[in-house]
Amino acid sequence: MNDLELVERAKGGDQVAFKRLYDANVDRIYRLTYRMAGSDDLARDFTQETFLRAWQRLDQFRGDAAFSTWLHSIAVSVSLNGIRKADRHRKRERSLEDAAHLARTRAEVEPEVRERLQGAVDELPEMYRTVFLMHDLEGYSHGEIAETLGVAEGTSKARLFRARARLRASLGDAMQEYA
Amino acid sequence: MDDEPMGEEPIDPEVTEMLRGRYNAPPETPRDEMWAAIQARLEPRTVTVHSLEDARARRRTASWRPLGWAAAAAAVLVLGIGIGRMSAPLPKATAPVASAVAPNAGVQRAATVNHLGRTEALLTLVRADARDGRVDPAMGGWARGLLSQTRLLLDSPNTTDPAMRDLLGDLELVLVQIVRVTEVEGVDQGRARTEMNLALQGLEDRDVLPRIQAVVPAGPGMAGT
Repeated sequence: MNDLELVERAKGGDQVAFKRLYDANVDRIYRLTYRMAGSDDLARDFTQETFLRAWQRLDQFRGDAAFSTWLHSIAVSVSLNGIRKADRHRKRERSLEDAAHLARTRAEVEPEVRERLQGAVDELPEMYRTVFLMHDLEGYSHGEIAETLGVAEGTSKARLFRARARLRASLGDAMQEYA
Repeated sequence: MDDEPMGEEPIDPEVTEMLRGRYNAPPETPRDEMWAAIQARLEPRTVTVHSLEDARARRRTASWRPLGWAAAAAAVLVLGIGIGRMSAPLPKATAPVASAVAPNAGVQRAATVNHLGRTEALLTLVRADARDGRVDPAMGGWARGLLSQTRLLLDSPNTTDPAMRDLLGDLELVLVQIVRVTEVEGVDQGRARTEMNLALQGLEDRDVLPRIQAVVPAGPGMAGT
């Protein structure tokens, strides 16, 4: 059964069909919301809110875009609004539990260089940061990003260009030091 | 990743890789926990607007409904006769046992096909109603009758075909679920919907309708009586 058929069944109240849609999409949605929010609690909240809104608004889904794209646009909107409200993304503190999940890529790197790199991403304006996270860290194509954010592909490319340029400018020697 | 924007190179691959591994790196998705939280908050959907396709399908099934009920009533009589004939005492050793069993098997085969045809009609209507977000309480009585007959056929020593026994076993399960749905519909709508989803899921997962259709000839003369 394809997504459209599952959506039709879910529109009729079929929770089993909706669960299949959840299973097919939840990993990418959770990863993206986690990248954006930087905390498990927020990522869970945003992911759950995304699927609840999707359930409530299934009648608005016309099938013009893929269901996953529609779901991603809800997820990004929920996450951005949630992050703004919580205002945590700039002064977030990683818990020890979250830190345990982080893979060590280069043990020899000075901690402050890593912190500067991560801080520089945090400092990106929201619209650039979102595209940077989606494209460079999560591997979304510009086509997917454009559909998700409701912008032209060229806009997505331009935002990524600017995000990278700002990262270069703000990091400069730290990036060279790391590389 | 697709084409790079405006000829701009990505930032250093090692830096990108480091950020990918360290910048808000997501842990494993807590799928089950999140689903449990979502499911607890899912509200029943009320479908108020039907698509043209749904409306047409609905009209088609609605126009067949009186025929379905009439066929069901007639078939109950036929089945009753068939079962009565099966359960009647055999004449005393006037013929070899094999020849006494053969006519019963033929009668039962016809009764089974008839029964499957009526069950198919019920399941089709229930499924169409479920897609429209409603449950017809009248289906409960019909499903109960079919459930009793399914069990009679399952208990019959003449039902020897393993594939048929499997099909009847699956039908029994689905019919039990439909009966349950109609029993709780007026009391607990959420539970009724969950039961209905389970019934429909079972119907799909076990290919019940295609298996019935493989046994029942198409057309109004399906009962073979």
